[in-house]
Amino acid sequence: MKWKQFFTPISSINWEEAHQLVAQTSEQDVILLDVRQPKEYTRGHLPGAKLIPLGDLENRLAELEKDQPIVIY
Amino acid sequence: MGKGFSKVFNLTGGIKAWKKEVAVGSEDTGLYLFRSEGSPEEAVITGFGLEMGLRDFYLSMQSRVSRESTKALFGKLAGIEILHQERLVELYTEITGTAHTMTEFAEKIVEPAMEGGLSTEDFLGLYKVDLNSELEVLGLALAIEAQALDLYLRAAERSDNGNTSKVLLQIAEEERTHIARLSNYIDDQQDLT
Repeated sequence: MKWKQFFTPISSINWEEAHQLVAQTSEQDVILLDVRQPKEYTRGHLPGAKLIPLGDLENRLAELEKDQPIVIY
Repeated sequence: MGKGFSKVFNLTGGIKAWKKEVAVGSEDTGLYLFRSEGSPEEAVITGFGLEMGLRDFYLSMQSRVSRESTKALFGKLAGIEILHQERLVELYTEITGTAHTMTEFAEKIVEPAMEGGLSTEDFLGLYKVDLNSELEVLGLALAIEAQALDLYLRAAERSDNGNTSKVLLQIAEEERTHIARLSNYIDDQQDLT
């Protein structure tokens, strides 16, 4: 069995680049989106991160601004 | 994510990298989206490949995790992926007019399309999953199921055949329930690490 690489990757950034992105814009302009489960969020999350569990994401896209940078983890 | 969002970035290494305050590399190890073009027929082939991968992943993880309830959950999900494969073969027959058994379809149509792809081990290596962490394994299962959901929803949207669209939406709905089941399981197991 093979996993074909038929996926188009979205851009990935590392933490340094994420910090730069936040510094270059205003902190409120970058959405840090935590797509893990609430329990994991409670255990630890990035300051200011918005929690939308992956399973809810499709139904809650309206909560996100389309033109704002979004960093997902 | 698509859907009009233009500045979406996946954080390499996730929150684990943040805890260390260092970058873990530049590989694209995170969320991926299916390509948006392609016919329903291609989506059926892709979907079948993904279902094979999902089943392989669940069975492989089932033998590695220690918690009995996680083993049972993975076994159940692996079983459902076979039903999806059967439905996809039926759908392929309906779309193309060419009948195949499930084995033939896998060997003659899907596997050639998967050439050059990654083995499950390579795939797990790419995602840098800590296989000792059931939480991480479950998290990856969620991510793969989300990709499957995305594939079926997009394919259903593109299809101009009512029945094809209906079947793809049904499978999408079942993938949605898998996501809910995995999510609820993670939340219910208080001591998962």
